[in-house]
Amino acid sequence: MTTVALPPFWSLVEAHGDELLAHARRLAGDQHAEDVVQDALLRALRAYPRLRHADHLRAWLYRVTTTAAIDAHRARRRELPTDDVPTVATHDTYDEGAFEALIAPLPAGARAALWLRYVDDLEYEGIADRLGISAAAARQRVSTAVRTLRERLAA
Amino acid sequence: MTPLPDSLLEAVASAAVREGLADAVFTRLRTPIGRLLIVQGERGIIRVGFEEEPEDHVLAEVAGRLGPRIVGSDRELALTRDTFDAYFAGEGDPHDLPVDFALVVAPFRRAVLEALHSDVAAGQVVTYGGLAERAGNARAYRAAATACARNPIPIVVPCHRVLPSTGGIGRYGGGPERKRALLELEGSLPTRP
Repeated sequence: MTTVALPPFWSLVEAHGDELLAHARRLAGDQHAEDVVQDALLRALRAYPRLRHADHLRAWLYRVTTTAAIDAHRARRRELPTDDVPTVATHDTYDEGAFEALIAPLPAGARAALWLRYVDDLEYEGIADRLGISAAAARQRVSTAVRTLRERLAA
Repeated sequence: MTPLPDSLLEAVASAAVREGLADAVFTRLRTPIGRLLIVQGERGIIRVGFEEEPEDHVLAEVAGRLGPRIVGSDRELALTRDTFDAYFAGEGDPHDLPVDFALVVAPFRRAVLEALHSDVAAGQVVTYGGLAERAGNARAYRAAATACARNPIPIVVPCHRVLPSTGGIGRYGGGPERKRALLELEGSLPTRP
């Protein structure tokens, strides 16, 4: 039994599922987005009782979805040359380390934007404050950072 | 933004159940007495909510008992849904479904609801005093009434079949109109014109 009062898992899914699907589309394209979300939700469910607090659950789901998109992409790449069953990397999805490792190779600006958005769970106004830029510029920076991440995947 | 497709949600829920990741599964069912929220754990139905009860509260109540990994699925609860649908069509009785009394902590209230669940079938009625007696304390009819008023599993545990000895329909957690509708459905009250 958990020690923190976590909301019923499906309440999160019903509240944020649509935006997670949109996020998965940006990262993995229309063709793979639903598979990515399905995998992400199962990973999240496995990790859910081990969460140590109930803060920033939406941002956590974004990170799990991002990691699932990356793993799916890696699995597909491994799949191409052979007919082997892809072995999907099993990140510990509640560990910040997985997401940190993903964004580590990105330029500092992109990394900061992704971190503030998907780990600190800040709105664009909050990100703007922290980076000393306008909210519109913050939105632009996050969007560019997501694109950069996707392009690295495709590379 | 568009909500997640049902096929995706159902796929996640079935995988969760298959892998033993779900603490409970819920479904929403349209019925002649309004939408019901039915929540089922491994041992049976633990909670039935009427439509005016906030879903988040009902699910949080179950989460507090069984754990927060609660998923929604019509498919996983198909048998339960079919049993309710058949009941509202005049056949069968949801009280044949397994139940989990985990949300009923007070021992006497639990005894009351267990007696009601095992003894009083569709078409039968019982008084609060009669129910208290079945639960082992004939004088505790007020406690029996409280147990019914707070029944977490209405319809399956048939509190609508408990009537005051003084006549009339008495009270009901879901409101007297629903109680009357259920009793009419079961043929225990003449159908109104």
